[in-house]
Amino acid sequence: MLVGAKAVPAPKNKMKRQDHVTAYLMVLPAVALLLIFVIAPLFMAVEKSFTDWNFYKSSVFVGLKNYRIILENEYFRAAVFNAFKFVLIIVPAQIVLSFLFAHVLAKMVRWAGTFTKMSIYVPTVIAGVVASVIFIFLLDYRAGLLQQIVMALGLPRQAFLADKKLATVSISVASIWLGFGYNALVMYAGLLDVPQEYYEAASIDGANGFVKMFRITIPCMKNIFVLLIIGLVTGTLQTFDLPYMMTNGGPESTTLTPMLYLYNNYRDLNKTMGYSIAGAILMMFLIAFINSFVFRIIRSEKVIDG
Amino acid sequence: MRKKIKKDVGTVLCTILGLVVALISLFPLIWMALAGFKPESEVLTVPIKIFPEKWVTESYETLFSDPSYNFFQTFLVTLAVALLGAFLSLAVNMMAAYVFARLEFPLKKLIWAVCISSMYIPGLTILLTSFLVVFNLGMLNTVTVLVLPGVAAGYSIFFFRQFFMNLPASLEEAALIDGCSRFGIFTRIFLPLSTSPMVIMGIGTFVGYWNSFMWPSMTISDPALMQMMQIIRSLRSAYSTKFGVVMAASTLAAVPPIVLFLIFQKHIVKGIVLSGLK
Repeated sequence: MLVGAKAVPAPKNKMKRQDHVTAYLMVLPAVALLLIFVIAPLFMAVEKSFTDWNFYKSSVFVGLKNYRIILENEYFRAAVFNAFKFVLIIVPAQIVLSFLFAHVLAKMVRWAGTFTKMSIYVPTVIAGVVASVIFIFLLDYRAGLLQQIVMALGLPRQAFLADKKLATVSISVASIWLGFGYNALVMYAGLLDVPQEYYEAASIDGANGFVKMFRITIPCMKNIFVLLIIGLVTGTLQTFDLPYMMTNGGPESTTLTPMLYLYNNYRDLNKTMGYSIAGAILMMFLIAFINSFVFRIIRSEKVIDG
Repeated sequence: MRKKIKKDVGTVLCTILGLVVALISLFPLIWMALAGFKPESEVLTVPIKIFPEKWVTESYETLFSDPSYNFFQTFLVTLAVALLGAFLSLAVNMMAAYVFARLEFPLKKLIWAVCISSMYIPGLTILLTSFLVVFNLGMLNTVTVLVLPGVAAGYSIFFFRQFFMNLPASLEEAALIDGCSRFGIFTRIFLPLSTSPMVIMGIGTFVGYWNSFMWPSMTISDPALMQMMQIIRSLRSAYSTKFGVVMAASTLAAVPPIVLFLIFQKHIVKGIVLSGLK
């Protein structure tokens, strides 16, 4: 008995040690790759942001100078301003449209619903570059399809990609087209998850559709809203493909984005990059700040009693 | 009775509206595909011609005969990079996810924190310094630089860990008693049960590689390794007046992601519904 009791832990310990080795070997590839391609670049970025680094020169520590330079740089400021402009157009439009469309999906006849879910998802697998050339084609000044629709409506020809205001709108529309399917399907999933009893109880109390939407549907879907808004904000603040292809940041930097700004800097390897990196670090804090803000605002709203 | 009629009207209206939105979603792609089969003179006409008067392949011929591009090779190289990337990504992230879901070992919390924190580092912040890393490692203009940086991903590890944690522990108990190794349990029990999440994550990763543009533009200048989106961009400048050719190339560039999606659409649509809720 006693011998047996002592004997049991021995293989167990050996087993445990073996498990540890297996565990380390199995996480090693992922951890090594993350350390090399994500964590190390982050630490390097922090370090370089305090130096006057460029590719061909050894770095000299310059303190917070880069942060002052980048905050005073008119292009970077324009890029951050534009990024917010895109967020303010794209995020509310995408959230409202996909939320409303989730209701449409829920009410459709079954076969049509299946077809529609599939169709709206197709654009989400399309590359930003491909979407850009399609929209450049649709918006062509001479005879693009949308140009012809505008003219058929009796309006003058529009320079969709060369007009300061329209360029922003055009890029936003392309972006909404690309992301709509994913957002709408997630909203639809969230909508299906709202307990039906709530609506039945509300109907007995004589609540109308609006009351139900604002008192039941939206509060029940809070987590979905947080998930989608954070994803959209993070993605939109880092937009690159669409503005690069459609306008290359123009006209007059009205569609220049922070990503585009950094990319343009990288292309000139002789340039001092310390301050661009300082800008990239500031963007990280900005994104984290906005996301935690969204999280707090939505989570703090009162929920109906479940 | 009245309520039922009202409900039916709602269903009909929603069905019509839904189908209109479905059409709007697909239309730009249909328009692109049709443009590739029109003679150049018909691509941009006033008034609009929706279908080509005569279906021709001149745009495709121009595309494939242009000596400054090797479109077919680009297609194959990009496909190989995307397949390799998706495969490695699944292997690496699923192994890590299994370990985090099932095994206990020293420093687990710290290693987990490294994996998860990587999710919160925006690509923009490390754009220039990741370039510096691959530059210093001498990786520019290699397949490695296209594939390796995108392989490990915090959200993928997180996603598979969630899935593995929901699998019952009784699954592997019998195998453990029979002396099966932990790695054996992973390959023989966990992998076969994970086809659905593998399809979702695998296709997502494949599409990410296939569609990537900025990273290849920064790291690849060798024509033999050029990626599809670099070529589309380049064609857009070279054929700025010939939209037919650009649309033909874009159509081909859109085919692999769309075909994959259509094959696995049931898994994917269901998967979004599930992953969206977590």
